[in-house]
Amino acid sequence: MLPTPEELEVLALSLKVAFWSVLVSLPLAVAVAYLLARASFPGKTLFDAAVHLPLVLPPVVVGYFLLLAFGRRGPIGALLDDWFGVVMMFKWTGAALAAGVMGFPLMVRAVRLSFEAIDRKLEAAASTLGAGRLAVFATVTLPLALPGIFTGMLLSFARGLGEFGATITFVSNIPGETRTLPLAIYTYTQVPGGDEPALRLSLLAVALSLAALFVSEVMVRRATRRITGDDADGRH
Amino acid sequence: MSLKCLLVWLSLTLAVVPSAAADAAGTTVFAAASLKDALDEAARGFDAESGNRTTISYGASSSLARQIEHGAPADILVSADAEWIDYLEERKLIRAGSRVNLLSNRLVLVSPSAGAIGIRIEAGFPLARALGRDRLAMADPDHVPAGRYGRAALESLGVWTSVSGKIARSENVRAALALVARGEAPLGIVYSSDALAERRVRIVDEFPVSSHPRIVYAAALAAASRSAAAPGLLAFLRSPAARAIWVKHGFGVLD
Repeated sequence: MLPTPEELEVLALSLKVAFWSVLVSLPLAVAVAYLLARASFPGKTLFDAAVHLPLVLPPVVVGYFLLLAFGRRGPIGALLDDWFGVVMMFKWTGAALAAGVMGFPLMVRAVRLSFEAIDRKLEAAASTLGAGRLAVFATVTLPLALPGIFTGMLLSFARGLGEFGATITFVSNIPGETRTLPLAIYTYTQVPGGDEPALRLSLLAVALSLAALFVSEVMVRRATRRITGDDADGRH
Repeated sequence: MSLKCLLVWLSLTLAVVPSAAADAAGTTVFAAASLKDALDEAARGFDAESGNRTTISYGASSSLARQIEHGAPADILVSADAEWIDYLEERKLIRAGSRVNLLSNRLVLVSPSAGAIGIRIEAGFPLARALGRDRLAMADPDHVPAGRYGRAALESLGVWTSVSGKIARSENVRAALALVARGEAPLGIVYSSDALAERRVRIVDEFPVSSHPRIVYAAALAAASRSAAAPGLLAFLRSPAARAIWVKHGFGVLD
C-alpha cells in the first residue's frame, strides 16, 4: 500500500511545517534556555511561566491569540503585511508559527536541563586558558549541551507534526497549504467513507513518529559518546 | 490496591457513565450549522410548551451524518441537504416514513460590511480577479452541503477552475461566515440566512437559483431514537409558530 499523491502532499507539508518551526525557534529557544539556566533577573519566575504557557494552555486558545495578533487585522499581522508583505493567514508559514509556538516550551525545557547539567568547572577551565565568553559558549557550553538540544529539537518537531488545535483555529484547514497530517486525518474522520484514508494516514503518522524517535536516539547517543569520550568501539 | 479500594473506584467510575435510561429523558438534535440561531429559538419554544429538554449539536451535516453512522445518540437530524439523509436512510439509520423536507435557503456572496467590493454574479464573472492574492471562504466543497452547493454554482457559472486554488475551506458554513466577518477573507459563500445573522458582513450578490441544486433542509428521526418527545419536536418544527421563526431568520419554509 503505497501512499497516494494526495497523502504524499500531506506528508511533505507536515514535514516542511515541522522542520521550519524547529529551525526558526531553535536559536531563540537556546537563548531563552541559557537565560533561564544561568541568569537571575527580576521577574524571572514570571518569565519562566510565560515561556511555559503554551504547554498548559488549551491549544485552541493559543490559536485564537495567534489569530487575533497575526490575523490580517491583528496588530502584528497588519504590520508584517505593510512592512514586509508577509501574510501568515491561510499560509503554511502560519501553520509553522503555530507549531513553533506550541513546541517552544518543550525545546526550552530540554535545552535548559542540559545547560544546568554542565560541569561549570569545564567552562572555568576554558576561561583560564584564555577563551572569551563567546568562545567558551561556542566551544564548550554549546557542544556539551548538544544531547539536550537534539532532544529539544525532536520534542518540538514531534509536537509540530502533531499540532492540531492552534493550527486549525489560526490558519484553518486548506489542502496543500495548512492541512497537515492531523488535520487531514481529522477531515477524513469527519467524512463518510473516510475510514480507509484516515487509517492509512494514521499508520503513516505512527511510522513518522517512530522514525523521528529513532533518529533522535541515534543523535543523542552519538553526542553523548563524543562528550564522554567513548567512541564506537567503547575505548576511552 | 485492596479489594475495597477497587470496589469504591469501580462504583465511582460506573456512577459517571451515563445510563441508557438517561438518554430517553431529553431530546438530542443534530443540526446543520446554518440553523444555529433559528433552531435554538424554535427549540426554546418547544421546550417552553412541552417541558422537554432539547439539546442541539451543530456542525456540518456531513460530519453529523457520519457521527450518527458511528452510533452518536441523536434523536433528530436536520441536514442542509437531502443527500446526507439519503446516506443514512440507505444504511437504515433513519426511522422509516419520518423524513420531511423542512426549509429552503438561498446562496449568497458576502464580504465584510466595510468592504468595497462590488461584483455581479453571472456566467464567467471575475471572481478570481476580485480575490487577488486573498482567499474565498466557503464550507468544504467536498462534503459540507453549503460548500457543495457553492461549488456547483461556481462550476455552472464557469469560474470554479479559476478560484479552486484560492479557497479557504472551513469545517462548516458558519466558520466560513466567521472568516469573512473577521476580515480574514474578503469574500465568502454562505446562505442568505447566515448573512442575515451576522452584522459584520454584507451581501454582495445572490447566486441565481438555477446555478445550483435546490437547497433543501431535510429532517428525520434517527432509527435508534428513544426520546418520547422527538416526534413531537419534529412536528413542532413544521408548526405555524416555528414557521414564523424560520421566516424571521431568513429561511424559506417548504410544505
